Amino acid sequence: MSRPANADRGLRWSPLALALFATGAALLVGGVGLRSPVPLFLALPLLLAAPAAALSGPRGPPRLTLEREALGSGTDVTVRHRLGSLDGTDLRAVEVAAEPPAGMTEFAPPSESRNREALEIDRHWRTQEPSISVVPVPRVVWRDPLGLVERPAHIEIEPLVVERYPPELLRVGTFRLRHTIALPGEIRSRRIGSVGDFYGLREARPSDPFRRINWRASARAGRLLANEYELDRTGDVLILLDARATSLGRRIDERILSISRGAAAGLAAAFLRTKNRVGLGVFSEFLDAVPLSMGRAQGIRIRSRLLAARRGPEGVPPERAAVSLGRYFPPGTTTILLSSLAEDVTEDLTVYLRRRGYPVVVLSASPLPLFPEERMLSEAEEAIVTRIVRLARRVRIARSWADAPTVDWSDYWSLGEFVDFLHRPEYRRVR
Amino acid sequence: MSERLPLGARRLASLLSAVPLFAAGGLLGLLADVPRPWGVGVSVALIAVGVGLRWGRSALVRATAPGPVLLALAFGALSSPLSLLAELAAGLAGLAFLLWLADDPARPRGTVGLAATSFLVPSLALGIAWGSALLLPSEAAPVGVAAGLLVFAIGALAFLAVRPSLLDAEAPVTS
Repeated sequence: MSRPANADRGLRWSPLALALFATGAALLVGGVGLRSPVPLFLALPLLLAAPAAALSGPRGPPRLTLEREALGSGTDVTVRHRLGSLDGTDLRAVEVAAEPPAGMTEFAPPSESRNREALEIDRHWRTQEPSISVVPVPRVVWRDPLGLVERPAHIEIEPLVVERYPPELLRVGTFRLRHTIALPGEIRSRRIGSVGDFYGLREARPSDPFRRINWRASARAGRLLANEYELDRTGDVLILLDARATSLGRRIDERILSISRGAAAGLAAAFLRTKNRVGLGVFSEFLDAVPLSMGRAQGIRIRSRLLAARRGPEGVPPERAAVSLGRYFPPGTTTILLSSLAEDVTEDLTVYLRRRGYPVVVLSASPLPLFPEERMLSEAEEAIVTRIVRLARRVRIARSWADAPTVDWSDYWSLGEFVDFLHRPEYRRVR
Repeated sequence: MSERLPLGARRLASLLSAVPLFAAGGLLGLLADVPRPWGVGVSVALIAVGVGLRWGRSALVRATAPGPVLLALAFGALSSPLSLLAELAAGLAGLAFLLWLADDPARPRGTVGLAATSFLVPSLALGIAWGSALLLPSEAAPVGVAAGLLVFAIGALAFLAVRPSLLDAEAPVTS
């Protein structure tokens, strides 16, 4: 949905214009006081410059079009702004102040090319961690060349979302999902049926109909063999984001939530690309769910829900999530849980999810890289503390493994370990 | 399409626009009723400080750059004795200051040319005022009239400063 930016559209004097007015007035007073016209001659240009500048520009809010596009790959994000004028405003005097979204920093000066009719500005930002974020609406103003007056422009603009997640997630869509439905998809499901591609032979069972018996192969083998078929079906996957507050504090919680949102966006995009049904649950105080569906519209629904996800309060009972999930998602749906596992094991969602019949794989963004360095300790003490914290984290992951396969995610720009883990034959069917 | 030059090159290029400012400010300092080296020295030094501040990295520092320049020009104008040359130098210094403002290295190249209207109106007013001073006889009464007009001008400008929307075009009324 497009929305107008820059609600305040009136003409505004800059502080410099007010300084010129004040200096001009002081010179007038001084000139009259000294009975000398010399200061008046200096005051004249200072007093007239700002009104003349205001009259030289558009007499109302400039009507501009702004198109934005996110380019670049990996950690680099280039946002291209293309401006055009609907009312003939000279774009050489237009300025665009675009701020990077939270978590991104500018690493190179903007590059721009402009003429009277067109203006193109590239802003170069770098994201520290995987994320999905909305690029703030830039402030677009017409400013006179002397910098004395400015007029905010009237623009209609579409929201721009930037997603950055580890590239390995593009391969995750081929992971075999447990719960499938009979819609054509890309999940290979070995179901015996009269349709599908030939997969292989197996020993015939008494329940097999005659038409499934492979008579030629049976004659050669000397025992009854049946054909086995392979069907491509649609699989169901649920991405569950644990957004409850933890004892790590607001700052680290929000960064982990931002990283998890980026991973969730990447997982959803990968599974939707391979024609699976994807659902999303965000558990903060209550469960906020996007029911299973497929296609591009589902991608947009998931993305907007992820953007709206906020850190919840502390002490929310984990069973609430498991109970609520049953209203939206059938038991047996493969569930990828994104949780920091920063709290005690009793706060884990996995036990409750397993009890309700959801096979769970946990992807846990580690908070360790986000801890600020303590300068109070010596180097040796710092090394010992780091080692203890790492050991504690390892023990925590090991305890989580008792309930569900758990992958510790500490290198935020790589999820190869997680994707490889999902593709291992022994873990394809998540217990 | 004009590309944005590197900041260093823009800074060097903007020195050109500072030349008239140094010249007019220096002349005003030279005409000032103070020991000659002091007048020129103070004016040129303050203008140099302003030019240097505009090369600063911080936007806040750059915003303070016009302050020393205005101070230098005001010092020259207030301490100059009455003469046609001093009047002309003061007016030209004001215009040179506007030219220097337009050539901001932090802004895209080529914006000086867009400031034609902003130069034209003060230049015309200055031309009329200096022409009047040159051609009309000086009397006490016109000074009083001029003072009244100036007070009125200050009031009008103060009113404009408070209500800038007066310069907006009226929105068309459609039934």
